[in-house]
Amino acid sequence: MKKYTLIIALLMFVASFANATNEAYEKAMLKEIQAFGKAGPVSEVQKSANAFARIAEMNAGEWLPDYYAALAYANMGFRTEGGLEEKDGYYAQAKKHIEKAKAISPNNSEIVAVEGYIIMGELAADPNSRGQSLSGLAMQTFGKAIGLNRQNPRAIILMAQMEYGMAQFFGQGPEKACGLVASSLELFAKEAAEAKEGSLNPLWGKGMAEEMKENTCK
Amino acid sequence: MKALLTICLFFLVNLTLAQTTIKGIVKDNKGETVPGVNIFLKGTYEGTSSEVDGSYELATDETGKFILVFQAIGFKSQEFEIDLNGSAQTFNPILKETINEMTAVTITAGAMEASDEKKAVVLRPIDIVTVPSAMGDIIGAFQTLPGTANVGNDGRLFVRGGDASETSIFIDGMKVGNAFGTTASNVPTRTRFNPNLFKGSFFTTGGYSAEYGHALSSALALSTVDMPARNQGDISLLSVGMGYSQTLVGEKNSLTATANYMDLSPYQAMVTQNFDWERAPYGWDAEVSARQKWGKSGMVKAYARTESGGMKIWQKIPGSEGRGQLVDLKNHYTFSSGSFKQIGKNDWSYYGGISYSNNVDEFTLDQIDIRNQNRVIHAKAVALKGFSDKFSLRTGIESYLFSYEEGLKSENLVRDFNDLQANLFTEGDYYVSNKLIFRGGLRAGHSVLADQTWLDPRVSLAYKFENEGQLSLAAGQFSQMPVEQLRIASPEVQNTIANHLILNYFLTKKGRTLRAEAFYKDYKKILTYEGPQYFYRNIQQNGSGYAQGFDVFYRDQTTVKNTDFWVTYSFVDSRRKFAQFTEMVQPGFAPRHNASIVVKHFVSGLKSQLGGSFAINDGFTYTDPNFAGQMNAKTKGFRDLSLSWSYLPKPNLIIHFACSNVLGRDNIFGYQFSPTTNESGKYESLPIRQTAPRFIFLGIFLTLSKDKTANNLNNL
Repeated sequence: MKKYTLIIALLMFVASFANATNEAYEKAMLKEIQAFGKAGPVSEVQKSANAFARIAEMNAGEWLPDYYAALAYANMGFRTEGGLEEKDGYYAQAKKHIEKAKAISPNNSEIVAVEGYIIMGELAADPNSRGQSLSGLAMQTFGKAIGLNRQNPRAIILMAQMEYGMAQFFGQGPEKACGLVASSLELFAKEAAEAKEGSLNPLWGKGMAEEMKENTCK
Repeated sequence: MKALLTICLFFLVNLTLAQTTIKGIVKDNKGETVPGVNIFLKGTYEGTSSEVDGSYELATDETGKFILVFQAIGFKSQEFEIDLNGSAQTFNPILKETINEMTAVTITAGAMEASDEKKAVVLRPIDIVTVPSAMGDIIGAFQTLPGTANVGNDGRLFVRGGDASETSIFIDGMKVGNAFGTTASNVPTRTRFNPNLFKGSFFTTGGYSAEYGHALSSALALSTVDMPARNQGDISLLSVGMGYSQTLVGEKNSLTATANYMDLSPYQAMVTQNFDWERAPYGWDAEVSARQKWGKSGMVKAYARTESGGMKIWQKIPGSEGRGQLVDLKNHYTFSSGSFKQIGKNDWSYYGGISYSNNVDEFTLDQIDIRNQNRVIHAKAVALKGFSDKFSLRTGIESYLFSYEEGLKSENLVRDFNDLQANLFTEGDYYVSNKLIFRGGLRAGHSVLADQTWLDPRVSLAYKFENEGQLSLAAGQFSQMPVEQLRIASPEVQNTIANHLILNYFLTKKGRTLRAEAFYKDYKKILTYEGPQYFYRNIQQNGSGYAQGFDVFYRDQTTVKNTDFWVTYSFVDSRRKFAQFTEMVQPGFAPRHNASIVVKHFVSGLKSQLGGSFAINDGFTYTDPNFAGQMNAKTKGFRDLSLSWSYLPKPNLIIHFACSNVLGRDNIFGYQFSPTTNESGKYESLPIRQTAPRFIFLGIFLTLSKDKTANNLNNL
């Protein structure tokens, strides 16, 4: 009997230990995702990026830490007032993390959407000279993300932004882009209704869609 | 059980009691604080980031021995062993910068790069095809760059006082033989290759890497598109022909097949010509391009092109009546190449390939049938090893087989030569810091036919200033065997040699690029001879010469909204003793003053890009036999204003209209003189003019794809 107790105790100990690591991971992620959501200036986003990178190093099998690290670096690229070199530096870091996330979770619509978001950032950093080569690539990547999951509102709103830019370039109306904005908003609403408390999954992007609806699609 | 609980409790208490604080300030080796550094205990969730002032503070409940890591973009990571025992600790690390290929200094002496990927570039690939005077020819765009001369009766690339044969052209690293179409004398030619094939180019007007050989003045390295974006069909309808291209893209491979047909007859029937054409130029071409991804980072490419064409033209003879001499020309050309690149383990990478060019020209000149065949096989393998982020070494082996045959068919006379050349090169790049780089290279070669072995040393260095400007210096020796038409007459001739010295300043910032370069180049062992082609006599290798000067390039994409313009000025002082000349002269292909302006303006309302380019030089030298001396006269200056209009009514449709020499200036490139004097003792002359007062180009490019946003521009 004693023997069994010991084994059970040991098993419980191991289980609780495993549970503890998982709990620690979730706790750390949740904390950082919240901080990331509030991070404003580049210096704060850098802290989030660092934190996600640390969590990624501890959890080699999870794609979310690298995903958020990539997203943080991409946001830094968009937000910084610095020059092209600085922006490209952030996008290079973002790409590193997105590649790692892709290796952990291939054919993941969320990861591919952020991959496209990084390309969009590189394009926006120097549209004059990068427009021709990157606009096609960005749209193709968002197209791939939508193809992997038609319910991914982020892939759709990012595609809407590219569509809008394209329509502007060719002097066309925003109808097509606005159609995408509307369907992304529906999906965002659905996502919010279904989201569980404490979920680590990506939930960002609704603001982007609302802003576009307000400014472009009235 | 109780004991276990006690132990657990003990640990818990112990943990809470022993909180350790680590703090400090992170600086770089210049003493400046580094914000945003990722600071953490390896193997734990414990970590923080440095603040804007470089300070940090990390409080942890962990105890025992750990490794404290400092990580930041652009710096090497630093690790410290640390014993967490509850007492506060201070670490003030000094981070060392890493060499960042994206932002570090690059050697720009002599080089002009068109790329979407790199930083120190002069042009983007798209810019090349939209230069109004280029008429879709890659070389036409390079003629608006510093160091080149516009030689309108030839069409090839003339760099800094060098003749056209001194520029070698490479596709994906492999040598292209006869890259320009065969043409009659004084009828300008074009490159054979469609600009849509290429994603970037590296054009150098001197001082280049030991990787490039068999080029005395210049190398043009073109790199083909890696992976096309999607399945699509491209239709082109031009004022001079039509074409279709189909691209199929798979997960790891792609295939593009293209066919084009061109015939200038209908066009020439409508637009006035200066030349007396019996049969306007015509031709067809077909090409296939395949790419296969090789593992995670490798790529294998295969490309094959075959084409055939011809023309018949009457060329007047000065001093005689009638239409003159009829030149009947047919050309058959094949180029195929295979290339690979792969990244290996431990910072090794490899690339190489093989190419084959075969050019057959069949001429009929006054009932004399001539057949010339030129073949080049080039094989190359290169290994690149990064020993650290500061030092890398590139080593390669190359072989060339040159094979040339010329025959007077009507006389049953044929002669040929074969030459095998082996080359070995090695080149090291050493970054002292992100601001200073040294490069040193050696290139060795041996020619079996000439029985000559040579060694060309090359060095360069570059320094980047605080304002992002870069100063580069390059020097080296460059060897090239003379052209095949001369080697066949005198197979024992040795290399022609040039020495380059180049000082370059390059600054690119916020859409503006300034590039200024001064150069000195000397030539040794240039061939001199008497007589015309096929009858060269008294070939000697005692010619020499020099070229010196400077050029300035300024490009601005930001000052005027939606407008991109560049201005180029090149000054070349070149004299050489070569060909039939018995003293040093200024060659006819080396005007002293050359300038050009290219302006492109996008008008959203019109969905159009409007372009204009203006080129000017101070005239071409020529010898007037009615006066004493050689190269004793100069033509009036060359001037050309070209305009273009690209209209994009739909994303997948482009209508491109371009007109060269809008002002209709009668540009003259030299004069031909009668072989003997007339009754009054004068040599009669005929000017060498443009083929037509203007060239008008109209093209409609339609892309068919499921993806409605696809257009031809994506390929550019």
